Amino acid sequence: MKIEIKIETIFFKIFVLFCFLFFYASLSHAHKVYLFAWTEGDRIYTESYLSGNKKIKDGIIKVFDSEGKELLNGKTDENGEFSFKIPVNADLRIVLETLTGHGAEYLFKKSEFSTDHTHNEEAGSGIYIGKDTEAEHQLTAVQDMMRKEFELALDARLKPVMKELAKLREDKGPGITEVIGGIGYILGIMGIVAYMRSRKN
Amino acid sequence: MHISEGILTGPVLLSGAALSVAGTAIGLKKIDYDQIPRVAILSAGFFVASLVHVPVGPASVHLVLNGLAGLFLGWAAFPAILVGLLLQAVLFQYGGFTSLGINCLNMALPATICFILLRKGVRSDRVIYSSIASFLCGAGSIFLSSVMVAFSLYLTGDQFLTVAKLIVLTNLPIMFIEGFIVLFCVRFLKKVKPDILEVVYEN
Repeated sequence: MKIEIKIETIFFKIFVLFCFLFFYASLSHAHKVYLFAWTEGDRIYTESYLSGNKKIKDGIIKVFDSEGKELLNGKTDENGEFSFKIPVNADLRIVLETLTGHGAEYLFKKSEFSTDHTHNEEAGSGIYIGKDTEAEHQLTAVQDMMRKEFELALDARLKPVMKELAKLREDKGPGITEVIGGIGYILGIMGIVAYMRSRKN
Repeated sequence: MHISEGILTGPVLLSGAALSVAGTAIGLKKIDYDQIPRVAILSAGFFVASLVHVPVGPASVHLVLNGLAGLFLGWAAFPAILVGLLLQAVLFQYGGFTSLGINCLNMALPATICFILLRKGVRSDRVIYSSIASFLCGAGSIFLSSVMVAFSLYLTGDQFLTVAKLIVLTNLPIMFIEGFIVLFCVRFLKKVKPDILEVVYEN
């Protein structure tokens, strides 16, 4: 009996060690699906991948408005990317579905749209209203052009930052706390069940 | 292998949950007082195994270890896998609460089927029979699970064959790995503690 118990504890130790070795070898989230979205100009870009940075090819992206109406859909390319023109100036819900039954979604707040395209004209006309000389017209045109160029350059520069921000906003995958916690829960449940059964006997 | 929330339709989720409850009830009835630690250990193993993932082409698949749970627990694999899945959903965000039932069914039923079909083979004294049966138990559970996941998606409107092929193919390496894990465990236990395999067959 004693030897049996010894062997069982040794086996258990080996098993736990085995789990941890494996766990450390790949401390990441096995099968979580990620969907990120960011704006560039008047388009929204999305990128989808599985943990381990595996791009999701042929994933189906659906875009819904805040009332749940589907606005558009499309498939991701081989880099897991899909882009579309901002359909309405409102909150958007972007949903990803993969062929194997995994899914993710990303909520796009209206405030995140980097450019409000009506804004340019208002600002221009607001300042220069009533001054009808040709020189002023040219100045406005140049200023508009510069503004657009500036926005393009800014978007290009901000693209990696926006991507990083989108990633940060996603919650992190399981860490050592969750794993140990989970095993703790199982042992706890085992204890409760054993207690109930022992009272019955 | 975990089906996320909001993919399947209500009837599929409900019937999955109902069947899982039935399986869990049978499993709980079959657990003896002495077997509780064994169920807990395999449940913990199942819970952690999903963190071990294998990159396969464009996708990445993870260990499931449902075959191992089935072989050592029989029907009790249902409660073990249910607890593991629940904690995976809470702590790792794999699967989801509404799809818990169907996920449990998809993983625990193949494990139980393999246990029922292969238990005699695994207990065989001939090393070759026992080894083949153990390997088939590990690999077969994953295969059946893949088919069941594809079938769940099919009931919701996806094309069955295409999806089934995709899921089975991506899980092919896992079938081999788990086949060998079960084989290794059975050989090891037959050497050091042969009676551990016998206990579960008594009831």
